Amino acid sequence: MTTRRNVLKGLVAGGAATLMGQSLFAKAAQAATSSQGTWHVTGSHWGAIRALVKGGKVTDVQPLEDDPYPTDMIKGIKGIIYSPSRIKYPMARADWLDNRENADRTTRGDNRYVRITWDEALDLFYEELERVQTTHGPSGLFAGATGWRQTGLFHTCINHMNRAVSMHGNYVRKVGDYSTGAGQTILPYVIGSTEVYAQGTSWPVILENADTVVLWASDPLKNLQVGWTCETHESLPYLDELRDKVAAGEIRVISVDPVRSKTQKHLNSEHLYVNPMTDVAFMLAIAHTLYTEDLHDKEFLDIYSLGFDQFISYVMGEGEDATVKTPEWAAEICGVPAEEIRSFARLLASGRTQFLFGWSLQRQQHGEQPYWMGTILASMLGQIGLPGGGVSYSHHYSGVGVPQTGANMPGAFPLNLDLGKTPKHDLHNYKGASNVIPVARWVDMLLNPGDKIQYNGHEVTYPDVRMAVFTGCNPFHHHQDRNKMRKAFRQLETVVAIDFAWTATCRHADLVLPACTQFERNDMDTYGAYSNTGVVAMRKLVDPLYQSKTDYEIFTGLTDRFGRAEEYTRGMTEMQWLRQMYDTTKAANDGRFEMPDFDQFWEDGMVRFQRGENWVRHAAFREDPEINALGTPSGFIEISSRTIEKFGYDDCGAHPKWMEKAERSHGGPNSDRFPIWLQSCHPDQRLHSQMCESDEYRATYAVQGREPVYISPEDAANRGINDGDIVRVFNDRGQLLAGARVSEDYPQGVVRIHEGAWYGPVDASIGALDTYGDPNTVTMDVGASKLSQATSANTCLVEIEKFEGVAPPVTSFGGPIEESL
Amino acid sequence: MGIVGAAKGFWRTLRKPPATISLGVLSVGGFITGIVFWGGFNTALEVTNTEAFCISCHEMRDNVYQELQETVHWENRTGVRATCPDCHVPHEWTNKIARKMQASKEVWGAVFGTINTREKFLAKREELARHEWARLSANGSLECRNCHDYDSMDWDKMSDEAVFYMRPAAELNTGCIECHKGIAHHLPERSADSSPVVAALEGRAATSLSDGQDYFAYRPVTVFAGEDMAEPAGQLNLAARIEVLETKGDKVHFEMKAWRKDKGYGRVLYDDFGLNARVAVLEKEAAQNAELVQAGTPRNDDNTGLDWSQVTVKLWAAADGFVADDEQLWDVAAESYSSSCSSCHAQPDPDHFSTNAWPALFAGMVGFTNMDATEQELVLTYLQNHSSDNSESH
Repeated sequence: MTTRRNVLKGLVAGGAATLMGQSLFAKAAQAATSSQGTWHVTGSHWGAIRALVKGGKVTDVQPLEDDPYPTDMIKGIKGIIYSPSRIKYPMARADWLDNRENADRTTRGDNRYVRITWDEALDLFYEELERVQTTHGPSGLFAGATGWRQTGLFHTCINHMNRAVSMHGNYVRKVGDYSTGAGQTILPYVIGSTEVYAQGTSWPVILENADTVVLWASDPLKNLQVGWTCETHESLPYLDELRDKVAAGEIRVISVDPVRSKTQKHLNSEHLYVNPMTDVAFMLAIAHTLYTEDLHDKEFLDIYSLGFDQFISYVMGEGEDATVKTPEWAAEICGVPAEEIRSFARLLASGRTQFLFGWSLQRQQHGEQPYWMGTILASMLGQIGLPGGGVSYSHHYSGVGVPQTGANMPGAFPLNLDLGKTPKHDLHNYKGASNVIPVARWVDMLLNPGDKIQYNGHEVTYPDVRMAVFTGCNPFHHHQDRNKMRKAFRQLETVVAIDFAWTATCRHADLVLPACTQFERNDMDTYGAYSNTGVVAMRKLVDPLYQSKTDYEIFTGLTDRFGRAEEYTRGMTEMQWLRQMYDTTKAANDGRFEMPDFDQFWEDGMVRFQRGENWVRHAAFREDPEINALGTPSGFIEISSRTIEKFGYDDCGAHPKWMEKAERSHGGPNSDRFPIWLQSCHPDQRLHSQMCESDEYRATYAVQGREPVYISPEDAANRGINDGDIVRVFNDRGQLLAGARVSEDYPQGVVRIHEGAWYGPVDASIGALDTYGDPNTVTMDVGASKLSQATSANTCLVEIEKFEGVAPPVTSFGGPIEESL
Repeated sequence: MGIVGAAKGFWRTLRKPPATISLGVLSVGGFITGIVFWGGFNTALEVTNTEAFCISCHEMRDNVYQELQETVHWENRTGVRATCPDCHVPHEWTNKIARKMQASKEVWGAVFGTINTREKFLAKREELARHEWARLSANGSLECRNCHDYDSMDWDKMSDEAVFYMRPAAELNTGCIECHKGIAHHLPERSADSSPVVAALEGRAATSLSDGQDYFAYRPVTVFAGEDMAEPAGQLNLAARIEVLETKGDKVHFEMKAWRKDKGYGRVLYDDFGLNARVAVLEKEAAQNAELVQAGTPRNDDNTGLDWSQVTVKLWAAADGFVADDEQLWDVAAESYSSSCSSCHAQPDPDHFSTNAWPALFAGMVGFTNMDATEQELVLTYLQNHSSDNSESH
């Protein structure tokens, strides 16, 4: 097959690749000017793009021709810049402006704001930092929440906020994240690394060596559209190669998932349905079959692992529960017939099997258990560290599996204070409370100051937080249980939000500062977060719109108020920083990777490097487990963990166990009242909540202006719901409107609303109906376990009904209701 | 007759007793001759104290002189220049003469072509540099301090970073060369490791090791079973602590106390019982050689069920890979950790996680940084040495 990609690969193999690739690219990349305007190259989470600028306006955005697999979401970028939801001016909540910490907080969220000047806004920001530090100390300030900031290494807003606020005083921070909280906590104990963010076995190695690929709750075709830095989409053509191998009968791909995923349909591969949240029962039965049919690799277990005996005695019914985990036992719970479980286990053991786990599986109550079981099954098969075998928890993320070039990448604007510097208020008295909070528990923290929780082997005491600062993240999208959040936000005296669009978080803030978008500032980015394929120049397309400013300017202004602006900027301009970042990278790559000087790079738009070597995850450990020991307490795979056992937690013990959930569909707890499981996985047409405000693009998937809820034909028919209807999704925690999309891909009792849909309540009250369809209006806010205290978003039951009458208009988008003083 | 014959004749004349000249003439003549000779010697000495003399040999001109010209000691905003003799010739007379006596060796070298090519110079550079470092180390960096001195430093005008490093040095009256090696010429090349952290630490290496004292490896150090250093027995990790038994020339015989797991060949040595902070990796043969590695009674680690034994190893290594104070290592590591691990998020405090938790967390994220293998080893060791196991705050 002659594709452009193969031709490029041929060039790479030909040796002259770097040179030719670069000169070919340089030619194409130069800004082309015509009567239509000027095309500029820049980067984004959605890939490298060319943008046409005419008359100071971005009029068109196209994927860079270098992109082998552009995402449809490129179409939404223009709508981010020119969204009616852009924050135009600094604004403050009227009552807060008058009364500050004594303001009425019950009206928080009513979306009424007063326009103020930048000077006023930064004075207020500074005064509030002063008040909180001097009155309450560092435990009074929470500035730890972070998220998928816009791309660009210099302007990365998290770093700007942290550096500036750190210059003023200390504060409460977070640990972990919403994507992988349970996984990144359990896997270090089990297989010695967080794994979820680790480079994985190269795709060509998997394609060459695997007989069976198991996609376990993983939908790479959907999730690989976006990247943590500028995405190259180099991993997606491998999925096409995999599809060809499936068609040729060379590789079997089995998708273990309650729904038929986008990837499964693309690959035209097999589907193995499992009841939601019951994977652990299914996996225990697989272990039972492998063990009782003597299909497990005893030598591998003996050399490379510890604690198999303790685990297998639990499987064989010798544990406290005295239950043998037979396929018949599991079939009752997971909905997979016993014989199918057995034949699946035999298939896994029949050849080289590569497990590829997605993250949805651990975003639920007891989310540690299925991940732990994944490593155990792979250990029983004995293929960890072999090409095309073993277990991965990251192949759906940011181009993992594309070989890494090995080139150095630019750093970022410093998040920390410079060496030797201390904050203006260098206070360390947290009044007995912790200064680091597991991220998904911070709403609990607001509601329960002084409470103690267990977390990963130690005790966390919640501080009494009075003020919060948010930038580059939208907790009113990523946190669970909106109504609990609204209640918690009433505890906060002051909330500052810095963003370019009026997210629900901004609407629950007291002081809102308009940052510009990444397309309105000069920057650079890593091209390929894992592949390190190159460095992309991010030339400013248009000047900051309205009164927005770069984060650099905003925080220079803030630090200037306490005499630290010079230190904050190190006396350099934006372009001086970029030049320095680039020159440092060029020097570090000297002799290994050729890079043109900065001016040439800035003109070319990109520098690319030759593709790296293929690589196999855990191969070094397999080759020499003593020298290349894992990062577990023992250095070996820990099938049972004495360390975790000693923590004594009832919800995460010595080895994986089947534990019932607080609520579960398909016959589980609470399913009589709320029979439908709601999954809220990563969206197909957004990056979390980013781009939801892109009106035209949203209109391509919205249903009557609402976020789609995907529902099975059976569930729809039973409720008199037709495709395109507005429906109400509800439970005891909340209620939302969404637009029904009836789909054969969904089984009975399972619906999906993609996370990131903008919250748009009808009013400021607790329990208010959400008019657009944010799934976290109804999700549960409990820790996955005492070990990780991670989000349990996917443990969620709902009921759905057709919405009768006139639906209230969607309130999520557009600016605030402006009040005059 | 030639030169030898003429010299013999001259000596003969001198040794003959005076027959016709008066004692007074002799005395006065001797005095005058003395002045003439003395002046000539001094003039000659002064000539050898000029930059022009130093670079009249191409070895100097083509190598170190070129390197000097890239540095601040050559060109700076205040227009003050340090030339060769300012740093390399003692200003006090006795030391100056002593240095000149040493320097005759360099003349020998020039005549016999010891370093007459760039390659030969580079191969010899480490030895040459060591002589100079040892000299400056012995005199407390006297030549540097003729211009720079702690007492004259205005701390307020320094950057905070400079103060951070300079204050403790001032308090201990540390000689400049202890930290600033390579400030005017390139450092000797280390083909084995070009890591930036090693380069940063290179300047702080201990110039001589004292018996009975503890030192810390600042780069991966190859260790050997015997004094002949023929067969490598393994490698010390960065920050590995050794106790010096004796030094012989540029070699050191040391003892190291560590722990190891009883599963496997026992090649990996750890700092403490049950803690996975690694200090050395031995070759299989060395690890199982009871003469080199003396192992105590196994003790069971309740956190994993594995047995560990305390071991005492006695090995040889080159003496140039150590620093006297592990804080030197931690300073460099802390800076690397703070800058490399904050590109995407605020880096957790080292004492937020335990010694045994750090390797996994570090392995899971380090791919996002530009750290090379040596830097990774140093930073991980730093985190493990400052973990919750070593702190009371968590």
